[in-house]
Amino acid sequence: MSAVDRLNVSDRERSEPRSSREWLGGRASGVLLIVALLSLWELSSRLGWVVSAYWPPVSQILAAAFAQLMGGEILLSLAATMRRAAIGYAAASAAGIVLGIVLARSRLLRCGLLPLIEIVRPMPTPAIIPPLILFLGVDDALKIFIVALASFFPIFTTTYAGVAAVDDTLIQTARTFRTSWARTLYAVVLPAVVPAIAAGLRTATGLCIVVAVLSEMIAGSSGIGYYLIETQYAMRPDLMYAAVLYLALTGYALNRVFLAIEMRAIPWMGKS
Amino acid sequence: MRRSLLSIGLAMIWLLAVPVSRTQAADLEKIRVSIIPIGDVAPLFAAIQNGYFRELGLEIDTTPSAGGAAGIPGLVGGSFDIAYGNVVSALLAAQQGLDVKVIAAGTNVTDPKLDATGIFVKSDGGIKSGKDLEGKSIGVNTRNNVIWLYARAWVKATGGDPERVTFKEVPFPQMEDALRQQRVDAAFMVPPFSAVAEQKGGLSKVGSPYSDIQPGVDVGQYITTGKVLAAKPEAVRKFVTGLRKGVEWYNANLTNEALLTLISGYTKADVALLKLVPVPTAPLRTDVSQVRKTMDMMIDSKLLPAPLDLDKIIDSQAL
Amino acid sequence: MPRSSEPDGIGYWAGVSPAIVLCIWELAGRLGWTNPILLPNPTQIVAALAALVASGGILTPLVHTVGLFVVGFTLAAVIGTGIGIAMATSRRLYGLLEPLVEMLRPIPKPALVPVLFLFLGIGKATMIALVVLAGMFPVLISTYQGVRGLDPVLLETARTFQISRSRMIASIILPASLPMILAGMRVALGLGLVLVILAEMLAAQEGIGFRILDLERSFQIRDMFAWIVVLVLLGAAMMKVFDVAERNLVPWRGRS
Repeated sequence: MSAVDRLNVSDRERSEPRSSREWLGGRASGVLLIVALLSLWELSSRLGWVVSAYWPPVSQILAAAFAQLMGGEILLSLAATMRRAAIGYAAASAAGIVLGIVLARSRLLRCGLLPLIEIVRPMPTPAIIPPLILFLGVDDALKIFIVALASFFPIFTTTYAGVAAVDDTLIQTARTFRTSWARTLYAVVLPAVVPAIAAGLRTATGLCIVVAVLSEMIAGSSGIGYYLIETQYAMRPDLMYAAVLYLALTGYALNRVFLAIEMRAIPWMGKS
Repeated sequence: MRRSLLSIGLAMIWLLAVPVSRTQAADLEKIRVSIIPIGDVAPLFAAIQNGYFRELGLEIDTTPSAGGAAGIPGLVGGSFDIAYGNVVSALLAAQQGLDVKVIAAGTNVTDPKLDATGIFVKSDGGIKSGKDLEGKSIGVNTRNNVIWLYARAWVKATGGDPERVTFKEVPFPQMEDALRQQRVDAAFMVPPFSAVAEQKGGLSKVGSPYSDIQPGVDVGQYITTGKVLAAKPEAVRKFVTGLRKGVEWYNANLTNEALLTLISGYTKADVALLKLVPVPTAPLRTDVSQVRKTMDMMIDSKLLPAPLDLDKIIDSQAL
Repeated sequence: MPRSSEPDGIGYWAGVSPAIVLCIWELAGRLGWTNPILLPNPTQIVAALAALVASGGILTPLVHTVGLFVVGFTLAAVIGTGIGIAMATSRRLYGLLEPLVEMLRPIPKPALVPVLFLFLGIGKATMIALVVLAGMFPVLISTYQGVRGLDPVLLETARTFQISRSRMIASIILPASLPMILAGMRVALGLGLVLVILAEMLAAQEGIGFRILDLERSFQIRDMFAWIVVLVLLGAAMMKVFDVAERNLVPWRGRS
């Protein structure tokens, strides 16, 4: 069987598999691989192949994860992180979309703001946390600001590029019909750039959680990021790994939800 | 904003529900304190739990910062009124012109038997002194700070040249693994990690930099800024008073199980783990001569270019 | 796109607004509106930067950071592209790897630091692994989507010529999906830079990330800002290099 056949086969089943058995059918080997890796982990810890206070067996981590869930504490930490991520994300979305559209359509504002944005853009998030602590302290203001800053760029960039790429003839046509500026934006520009905006929003969804966790690790006193550090210092790696597990589940679920919304809300969003 | 609205709402409900004790609670002044979730701040938590601050009209809002990294920067940034930090950080901040003030003693190391910190090596590695470590490496949590400073002093005191020893930054939780995997040749460990590592065997303690080099060293302090001190002198004074009562209770209950439960409560560490760690007494007052010794060592290691005016840094109420 | 030679229509105006901001900043500092210790004036930062360059002290950390980034990013790009193509062209490999990828991908990479410390020690291996882990997933996903989105006619045509699988990948699949691969690499570029700095903060004894954290801890704010400027310039340079490379590799694809 050539690569082409394989490609075609996989192409045909691009549509979501219908039943869980169907899903598992293709991925049985992958699930087995994960089970094998986890078993290896369990054994390496139980049989002392890896000796460390920070390498608990998987079973202990799962037990810790269950206990955390029962205790509810982990949900509070997760909620604290998600709250920061959500507020920062919302602020970044609003600013990114508005600025993206406005800057792409107005040369004056572009001259004024784009250079500033381009200066800040290449700055890696961890590098600005130390100076920002000195100005904003270590409270929510700092973390939300950092989340917003990091999430802003993908949203702004895709929106800006999307608007700039809108066919000028479309806008000219709208203009010949004396459509108002606002209506042009709503009826012509927006539908054309929504897929671009959505792509930026999706990138930012993953990013905002990572950055929230990161800022909590560096300057935290609550939230999952802080919990990861705290449990290390308390020598409870089982709790730490369990928290990572919850974090991964949250990230995965968010991505799924986003894709589902995208598929419903923007059915015309094809291949990018 | 939403939180403040929520808290106002809750406060109003609470005011309506409990009118009797209203005056008492409404008068509480809130003091935000950055802490490191380790045994060092047990006296503070004892004072909180025993209600010493409430009696004085203070409400203490503690914010943990693992490893203490965000303490003094957060204090400078205005997130806290008071931060628990180490003496070297405080002096470094003062040297750069930041207006930090030591207002109360936190921890000191007086009894070598209760000094659970130390330089650890692999028992079969043959390293016994700083001399043996020349050309090798020591793990410290951060360079250019208190642990680093005393590790250097210990190397020097035991016949080695600190310039010929590599100091590698290793976070405390990872120190034991780094040593066992020989990624460092020695490690400066602190409790509870040191106690756990020692119990497992294979590692030996070859020195206790704090108690070997400078018996009585004032390691930790409660620090504020001149701005806070000027804005709410009364609240700071009450904080120091309440904390002293906490220290007294703590020193009287060193072997009490209740103390371990207290520490376990804010560190998340198991009581069984805490039982391995010796509990040292806590100081009531800052010893300026000890701080001066530390400062001289900092000058010696080129952390400071010149002596600082300690009278300006250490507030009189810490004495 | 018609405006591609000067995409933003800004030209020389680009310097105006940053200059205004810097002037206000400087003025605010001189008039005593800001705390000079926490926020040094631009002129002071430039002076610190100049001293850094003049003393040659800029070199070692810069080389460390750039070296770490180049190694990490290259590995991430190669691994990401490789696994992406493998998963897109072989159903068996797709079934084997997809669950693992989906499991690892959403984990914020900084959370993996303790595990990396345990197995790779505190040093280069951990730092490189961190950058690779962060950078490979965007490349992988993008590559996978790129290959899967290829025109079936193109592949059908190739099949009629009966060429081998490796040739097919090298001369048809790879070039055709290059725009998507590069799009993934662009995301990885930004993430990689973030993780390089983070890795240096956590596991290095050198590098720009280490310097920034070290200077913050000893409250030498002016020098810290000088390093942040270096970092911004470095980041901008990396993006520029990538832009040029992309334009040369995929000339038919306009700006994105």
